[in-house]
Amino acid sequence: MRTAVLLGFRLRQEVLEWSGAWWFLLTLVVQAVVAPLIGLFVWSAVYPDDPSIARYYVAVILVTLMTESFEQHTFSERIYDGTLSHELLRPQPVVIGVIGMNLAIRAWLTLLGAPIVLLTGIALQVGFDWTAVLRSTPYVMLAAILVFLWTFLLALTAFWTDRVHAVVGFGSQLTFLLGGTAAPIALLPDTWRRVAEVLPFYGMNGLPAEIAAGKGSGSMGYQLIWVVVLVVVVTVVWRIGVRRYTAVGS
Amino acid sequence: MTAVEVENLSMSYKAPVRKGGLRAALGSLVKREYKTVQALDQVSFTIAPGQVSGFIGPNGAGKTTTMKILSGILHPTGGDVRVLDSTPWQRRSAFLKRIAFVRGSQPVGGSQELTVMDSLEYQRLLYDVPRPTFRRTLTDLEALLDLEPLLERQLRALSLGERMRVGLAMALIYRPEVLFLDEPTIGLDVSAASQIREFVSEYVEQTGATVLLTSHYMADVASLCPRLILIDHGKVQYDGPLAELSARLSPYKLIRISTQGDPTAFGEVVEKADGQWVLRVPRDEVAATTGRLLQAMEVVDLAVEEPPLEKVIDQAYREGLR
Repeated sequence: MRTAVLLGFRLRQEVLEWSGAWWFLLTLVVQAVVAPLIGLFVWSAVYPDDPSIARYYVAVILVTLMTESFEQHTFSERIYDGTLSHELLRPQPVVIGVIGMNLAIRAWLTLLGAPIVLLTGIALQVGFDWTAVLRSTPYVMLAAILVFLWTFLLALTAFWTDRVHAVVGFGSQLTFLLGGTAAPIALLPDTWRRVAEVLPFYGMNGLPAEIAAGKGSGSMGYQLIWVVVLVVVVTVVWRIGVRRYTAVGS
Repeated sequence: MTAVEVENLSMSYKAPVRKGGLRAALGSLVKREYKTVQALDQVSFTIAPGQVSGFIGPNGAGKTTTMKILSGILHPTGGDVRVLDSTPWQRRSAFLKRIAFVRGSQPVGGSQELTVMDSLEYQRLLYDVPRPTFRRTLTDLEALLDLEPLLERQLRALSLGERMRVGLAMALIYRPEVLFLDEPTIGLDVSAASQIREFVSEYVEQTGATVLLTSHYMADVASLCPRLILIDHGKVQYDGPLAELSARLSPYKLIRISTQGDPTAFGEVVEKADGQWVLRVPRDEVAATTGRLLQAMEVVDLAVEEPPLEKVIDQAYREGLR
């Protein structure tokens, strides 16, 4: 209960904090939608008669906006400038602050990106089956958790290296290639498709978008497994990282 | 009963080193060399509840490292530390709610877009302060720190002095029992620094908090700390009253006199201007010299002074303690 209250308060704080940086958030929105838009244009050109391609990519844009994570800019910077010490001395788990900021940024991105999604949908005359959209909700939530855990895990490398942006950038490229943004994974060669389905990246983007677009009936199994795996790995890496931070200081 | 207990505390870092040039750079890719830096070496002291102690030393002496260990940010490589009967680096919630670490270089953490009142409200939630206690403490802090005009301001828009006042308010709103103050007056003007000193003094008087304070400003130390712990090269060089340190380091006192005569025969002249003389006299000869001066000369005014604290401490930093 106390954790929920603290998280709620932190979320409110962060929403307020980021309200002053709407122009910066707009640049993040643009960065987030560019890759799915390229995918949309390329694959719509390849399959001009398939309306599900446009529907899928509009869903990918929305899922991307709702699940973007920037812990390499937020949390890692706290390690670099030493302000993580402030967080360590607060009587609450540090991750509450990280999650609060993550949710606030996502809320702003979704709000600011909604007109882009709407305009793209109208321009391409995309129609959604709202029962499919509703059915995709738990998939989107799991995707949001997965993207956060993955980005946070990579951001934790800031305890060891000052090149965290390169590390997270590499992780983002994997998500782009194997998550269903570069190409819907159904269009990949068989072997690649099977590999992509098993890896966590598909659950971060492609799967919830496919469900929302009414294209697939995939299960949440892999998403759930990867959430458990990443929670364990993040916990272990966090403990080792904090031990290192408290051994050498900021 | 002690509030802070430090025994044989040691802290060492492994810092990577290499010689200059491309060859050494390539070599370090295969085999990295490290040098061990001993930040703290067998530091021991205790602080009783309610005591205010000054923790001084030159830059790089180990003051902030010690503060970080005592507050729980750093994990030492050796020794034992107990603060309020807890091991700080375990950072248990119950412990964190009883201490505060305020750094003059970073007085206020967290969201800078928030107003001061929002930030204080967050502290209330974080530290489980009951609303009536919160209101009462806030009223006290408003009066002591002149907070009222700042409550509706955003943190990012505060001046350095205001940030320090707000930082102290945020740290003290939950009434910590042990307060670690790291350079609380750094960068502040004379009035703001004096305001902070007065506040710390009143807070200690009201709450009986234990304070460990580091500062390079001797005015902070002289006005707040009856006890001084001097650390250098990671070792405690002195632990005791300020006056004793002064006596130990400077076997002289200063006699300041106003006279039209020439008192050079009575001691070493340190300063001379418009009939004002400052003589340096061995401590054990002060009484006799003063008597002889008054008998031999027409003295308008006379005062016996301790040498300036800055000079005493500077001497300790440069030459060490004898």
